[in-house]
Amino acid sequence: MTTTTSVIDRLRARIGQAGPSTEAMVEAGHLKRFVEAIGDPNPRWTKEAPPTFLVALSPAAYHLEEAEEYGKGWLNGGNRFEYLEPVKVGDRITATSRVADVYEKTGSSGNLLFIIFETGYVNQDGRTVAKLRGTAIRR
Amino acid sequence: MTVGVGDALPELVKHPTTQQLVRYAGAQGDFYEIHYDQAYAISVGLPGVILHGLLKAGFLGQLVTDWLGDRGTLKRFEVSYRGIDQPGRPYACRGRVTKVDGDQVELEVWGEDSAGNRTTVGTATVEMKG
Repeated sequence: MTTTTSVIDRLRARIGQAGPSTEAMVEAGHLKRFVEAIGDPNPRWTKEAPPTFLVALSPAAYHLEEAEEYGKGWLNGGNRFEYLEPVKVGDRITATSRVADVYEKTGSSGNLLFIIFETGYVNQDGRTVAKLRGTAIRR
Repeated sequence: MTVGVGDALPELVKHPTTQQLVRYAGAQGDFYEIHYDQAYAISVGLPGVILHGLLKAGFLGQLVTDWLGDRGTLKRFEVSYRGIDQPGRPYACRGRVTKVDGDQVELEVWGEDSAGNRTTVGTATVEMKG
């Protein structure tokens, strides 16, 4: 048990910490592959990003190696997107994620570790276009 | 077209396949093996490969934007993944209007497996054009 306790302590020490920023261009070909994978034929997405595309542009979480000492695998608990400006083909988006919270819960099938990430997406004009809050779970 | 509380969004039924999971993995850049490697998925206690939560969110995003069209703008979209879903089974996306406050409209959306379980639940806020 001491091992898992220290994993949680080490992860909690990261609350507030930002991961490396990533920069990516919104490309028409990438958008096309993304909406084809979802099966969404709306012609609007040839020029504009659909609601969940930001997660394909840059990871919505950064890799926390020590989290993998806890449990067997990852689950996605949920995602909350806030949209401030449209994201269009040709935009250059810089994403930065930080750890917002880390906690453990006891569920019906055992203990779960929750890591909450918050990601901000800023375009080439320095304007925040969207924010994402994601819940990563180790089980 | 006026939007009223209780209005149902036109249902969207998806038929996810393992090929779709691989396409989505590539398009999103999420190569976690539980979405395409059957043996790996079973080794971590799953019944087999499962849909990406964000693929289900993509389905629900489509449900909302198909309904909304150019009548307004999506401002907020939140989804929680309550259960796992496997390819080869239909996945029904549904929703309804829960609140109308001026040009601000709140929606409840969800995805149901073939047994009727709401494995993904969410809400959205849209701002209708005046």
